[in-house]
Amino acid sequence: MANAEAAVRFAELPVPTTHEEPWRFTDLRGFDPASYPVPTEAIGAAAASVLPDLDVAASAEVSEGGITIHADALPAGVRFEVLDEHDPRLYGLVGWSDKFTAHNAALWKHGLLVQVAKGVELEKPLYVRIANSVPGGALFWRLLVVAEEASRFTLIEEYASASPDLPGYTNAAVELYVEQSAKLEYVSVQNLSRETWHFATHHARVERDAELDWVAGGFGSKRGKIRIQNDLNGPGATSRVTGAYFADGDQHLDYDTFQEHIAPNTESDFAFKGALRESAKAVWRGMIRVEKDAQKTNAYQENRNLLLSDTAHADSIPGLEIMANDVRCTHGATLGRVNRDEVFYLMARGLSRAEAERLIVRGFFQDVLDRIELLPVREALGQALESRIPQAL
Amino acid sequence: MALLELKDLHVSLEDGTEIVKGVNLKVDSNEVHAIMGPNGSGKSTLSYAIAGHPAYQITQGQILLDGEDITETEADERAQKGLFLAFQYPHAIPGVTVTSFLRSAINAVRKAKNGAVDDPIPVPEFRTELFAQMERLSVSRELASRYLNDGFSGGEKKRVEILQMAMLKPRIAVLDETDSGLDIDALRIVAGGVQELIGPNMGALVITHYQRILNYIKPDFVHVFVGGKIVEEGGPELAKKLEESGYKEWEGVPA
Repeated sequence: MANAEAAVRFAELPVPTTHEEPWRFTDLRGFDPASYPVPTEAIGAAAASVLPDLDVAASAEVSEGGITIHADALPAGVRFEVLDEHDPRLYGLVGWSDKFTAHNAALWKHGLLVQVAKGVELEKPLYVRIANSVPGGALFWRLLVVAEEASRFTLIEEYASASPDLPGYTNAAVELYVEQSAKLEYVSVQNLSRETWHFATHHARVERDAELDWVAGGFGSKRGKIRIQNDLNGPGATSRVTGAYFADGDQHLDYDTFQEHIAPNTESDFAFKGALRESAKAVWRGMIRVEKDAQKTNAYQENRNLLLSDTAHADSIPGLEIMANDVRCTHGATLGRVNRDEVFYLMARGLSRAEAERLIVRGFFQDVLDRIELLPVREALGQALESRIPQAL
Repeated sequence: MALLELKDLHVSLEDGTEIVKGVNLKVDSNEVHAIMGPNGSGKSTLSYAIAGHPAYQITQGQILLDGEDITETEADERAQKGLFLAFQYPHAIPGVTVTSFLRSAINAVRKAKNGAVDDPIPVPEFRTELFAQMERLSVSRELASRYLNDGFSGGEKKRVEILQMAMLKPRIAVLDETDSGLDIDALRIVAGGVQELIGPNMGALVITHYQRILNYIKPDFVHVFVGGKIVEEGGPELAKKLEESGYKEWEGVPA
């Protein structure tokens, strides 16, 4: 499905360097996306999930070898199928303007269309797992989601690797259309191997009175960038993005979020919390842009990091660009450490040091976990975070 | 053998400054000892050192619990053996509810008593006990599901300290300025809650600036603590005397 125009664009553009502002804190030296072959067959066993035992309406598994869909019992009006390269909405939100989206548009083979017809509500979530399995290989993935007018459903997307230290490169492009009065819950959990370079662009457009509730979980990958853009395109549109991440070793996570208020009376609320151990690094860049017609915008963004070692590091770069004059925009960023006196307080009640620290770190994430509406997802992410807190920090 | 014994205890801060300069004290079950002293005398340092705060270094002497030397043990082990410190300024732990914290603490103590094998308290038993103790200490039920000390008033924090004590059932309780920040009604409830626990299973060391709390927790012994040392000892009448004449008599006396 080669997209020739995108392939040319990819070839023209250099790999970004730290001289470019969006990449200032994420150094890609030593990484050449063009050097990764694109295998056509998966190797070995399926990757483990951090979201076990979900009761789902339909599911799909994606690997180098293709896409397997299990969708036997879906109600009428729900399309959960292989993405057609001629779909009219394809590339509408994620095109090929930069190096990595161009690479995806040029080379993607496996894609999923999730389209829920007007007024259809799904009780159980839809689930797709993307797993890379070939050492040294690339995996390109494309997801197109259309929540038609007044539909309501949940889509869970999970990225995994066949083994925890599999070297590789993954590149994802996700387009989410949330039409009038629809409600979409979108959960995207990234638990790739710590040797996978991961680049993803997720872009949603939210129309009049529609609601998007997004959860981003970040546990894996080596380095890369995850871009999250929400366009509040119709009056009354709201979006909420909740992020929780945990990195250790020499992992480097980069979240680049963009809240684009186009229509009046729109609301966006982004909250990201992360804990970093050992030499892990996190970059969070948040931009709220309010276009001149987007009066009565209410926008919020926050990023809070907890450092669990002296060598962990986090950079938070909040940003505001406001062209309208009647808006409410707030943001906050904090950097903290586990406080010795708090640890002592808990130990003085009989908890071991490790238990005390675990409780404090778990507590740190509680308010973002509380924002997750789906109980099984909330619990699974809580457990995934907790399992990353070691016995001794 | 005393329940808690301090033998020639010296405590320094991390910068080497000596704050506690040789304290000898024995506390038994069924006894209440009051340590009374002015601000800056080292009372809180003494209480933190007894509980095992790593920032307070014991440079000389010993702490014995039931005759066992616990000077070198960490705070969790001391708590598991039955030592409890009610903090003057309890810390907030956002995201951790009072209930889940208490259950974790009780289970940690039970595990230690069970030879490092998990022995969790059955949930119905825990809930029954928790609600009974909360009612006794006039702690509103709503507090159980709030995050520990997060946004609590000064009075709520102190009540929740005593609630923790009542749930953990220590053998020796050290109360650091528990009366500070409490109005008379709250003080009556909190101190009454402590007094009820004192008996064959528990002794207490009440550290205070003012005599007020001793109207509710009756001391058997009073130790006057000035400049990091016990400078006078006596019975309950000594507390009354201090209330009238203050600590002037001992201040400025070279240690």
